Amino acid sequence: MTYQRFIVSQSIVIMASSIVFPFYILLLRNAGDSYSQFGWAYGMFALSAAFFYPVIGRFSDRIGDQLLLIVYSWAMTLLLLLFPLVTEVWQVYLLQILMGLLGAVQKNTEKTSLVRHAENKQVGKEIGKYHSWTGIGGAIAIILTGYLADFLTIGSIFYIASLMYMASGLVLMKKTKLSKKAIGDMNKVSTK
Amino acid sequence: MKRKILFLFLAAYMVCFFSSVSVYQNSISSPVVSDKGRLLPVQVKSVVKAEDRKQLQKLIKDSNQVNDKFSIAGMQHSQGGHTYYPNAIMLDMRDYDQILDFDPKQKEIMVQSGATWDDIQKHINPYGLAVKVMQSQNIFTVGGALSVNVHGRDIRNDALIDTVKSFRLLAPDGRILNVSKTENAALFPLVIGGYGLFGVILDVTLKLTDDELYQMRTKMVDYQDYPGYFKDEIKKNPKVKMHLARISVAPKNFLKDMYITDYLLADDQSRYKRYSKLKNEGIVAVPKFFLGMSRYSDWGKNVFWELQKNYSKRLDGSFETRNNVMRSESAFMEYESGPRTEILQEYFVPVDQYPGYIDDLRSVLKQEKDFNLLNITVRFVEKNEKAVLSYAKDDMFALVLLINQGRSTAERKETERVIRRMIDVTLKHDGSYYLPYYHYPTQGQLKKAYPRIDEFFTEKTKFDPNDRFVNLFYEEYGK
Repeated sequence: MTYQRFIVSQSIVIMASSIVFPFYILLLRNAGDSYSQFGWAYGMFALSAAFFYPVIGRFSDRIGDQLLLIVYSWAMTLLLLLFPLVTEVWQVYLLQILMGLLGAVQKNTEKTSLVRHAENKQVGKEIGKYHSWTGIGGAIAIILTGYLADFLTIGSIFYIASLMYMASGLVLMKKTKLSKKAIGDMNKVSTK
Repeated sequence: MKRKILFLFLAAYMVCFFSSVSVYQNSISSPVVSDKGRLLPVQVKSVVKAEDRKQLQKLIKDSNQVNDKFSIAGMQHSQGGHTYYPNAIMLDMRDYDQILDFDPKQKEIMVQSGATWDDIQKHINPYGLAVKVMQSQNIFTVGGALSVNVHGRDIRNDALIDTVKSFRLLAPDGRILNVSKTENAALFPLVIGGYGLFGVILDVTLKLTDDELYQMRTKMVDYQDYPGYFKDEIKKNPKVKMHLARISVAPKNFLKDMYITDYLLADDQSRYKRYSKLKNEGIVAVPKFFLGMSRYSDWGKNVFWELQKNYSKRLDGSFETRNNVMRSESAFMEYESGPRTEILQEYFVPVDQYPGYIDDLRSVLKQEKDFNLLNITVRFVEKNEKAVLSYAKDDMFALVLLINQGRSTAERKETERVIRRMIDVTLKHDGSYYLPYYHYPTQGQLKKAYPRIDEFFTEKTKFDPNDRFVNLFYEEYGK
């Protein structure tokens, strides 16, 4: 996976999640409207993430970051299509658990990718740069979505985010070919 | 191979995407609405924002072909589904709020029905004018206020129905009618207090009065002395223009202690200018916090009562304009909880019956330990039976009860049981109750409190034979 493609796909992912999360709270307010239910929903998210982190860690060593990130993007792509349809609190809880799992995949893999890429380099600088770029993407997305929400329904925000996750998945997949080519190039270089 | 899988995946995604969009669109095209009571969420066909007269008229005329039903909503503080109906179109009147005409000399104003009292106050305050009769808060729409025939703190300006000069009504057949005491006069007492069942009130011409400077007088009384005090010190004293009282719901002096706030015309009206600026909602954290505590414990209720009492004492002698008295704070009462909600009841009881009534009410409520009663405000309404559904059968005290209850079916049943008992007590004392609340009362209780209820529904059917205008109140009691 080239680093550039990694950055592009993760920027899209962060943009998409920045779009969704502020408005996701509005959705939760519609579905279940007590603060305790609210607390439970987020608690489940955190707990499910905590539960899955160790498993994901092992997986990423075994099957590779790239595949996990692709799985994450595609899974989010599909999951987001369910968000606008939620009407009951239990559905919110279920989504939160799945989001916890997927969030853990993304966070863990993002970090392992960074570390693997930044090996033997100035780790701090690389990671700082990474967060800065993805952060800019996120900020732009939030501001634009504020306007979008005024014109469109809340539901449409989730559909837009779904499409963005799909784009991030495609970016990662396309990069497979490129990276093979790149590996070929590198092989050529090394054989010379 | 890989490309094939990708295409398959993308195709499957597209199918999921468009099915999701179509389900979602379907769900938002029949939105679920609920009023402030939050006990009756209902899926309606759609919510249409009222924009202008022509749009509304076209909607109603067209509906006569396709048999659409309508309900009319303002701020939706009615709590019995008076503003909506399953699968009907809900007209949201809140943006239909222009001030159409204002004549300071004649002291009259003509507004679209979605205008709030606040809109009117802001418009007329610079001219030194004020509304005659409205609720104690100014957040409600004029159309809604007429439909539920409100009363407030004023004790000198008759009833709301007497302050309405005329209005225009969009009738079920699409005609627009001028309604006043002389034109289409039969509709006047039906539409005012008519709960939106006779058509859409489009615009209203209201009579205004002078804004004045009042001086507050606060006092503690025992509930037994209240009627006497009211008659001698309030009713007979022409300087007292407005009045309200509270009776304790704190366990330590439950339904015994009262404190009274009177608004007397200030001797020195030249100071009016100094107070005439309209006040805004202040910081509500303190009362909100103590009201919150009183929800959860008897201790909290005792503390809240003491706090209210002391605050009231501090207000003694202070000045406030009429307009400012009629924009009292409401934000501190806003309550958000998933499983619980706060509902209102209002009972009217003849002035002389008051002490005996309170004794009976107390003995009922002492048996109901789980009934979470948070506040009772007492005001006065003068006898006025002009509206068909009039509650003021006599000179009466009006008690507004704020009740915290669970939203589940079992908890609703439990509240229903207690409320029916309280209404029985009220009716025993020749009282009546207010209709804009949840349908806890029985048909029998309704008939006893409103002897003309059959006439009301008969007239409704005559005027609107196709039931173009419907709501859950009508569904519960009128069909």
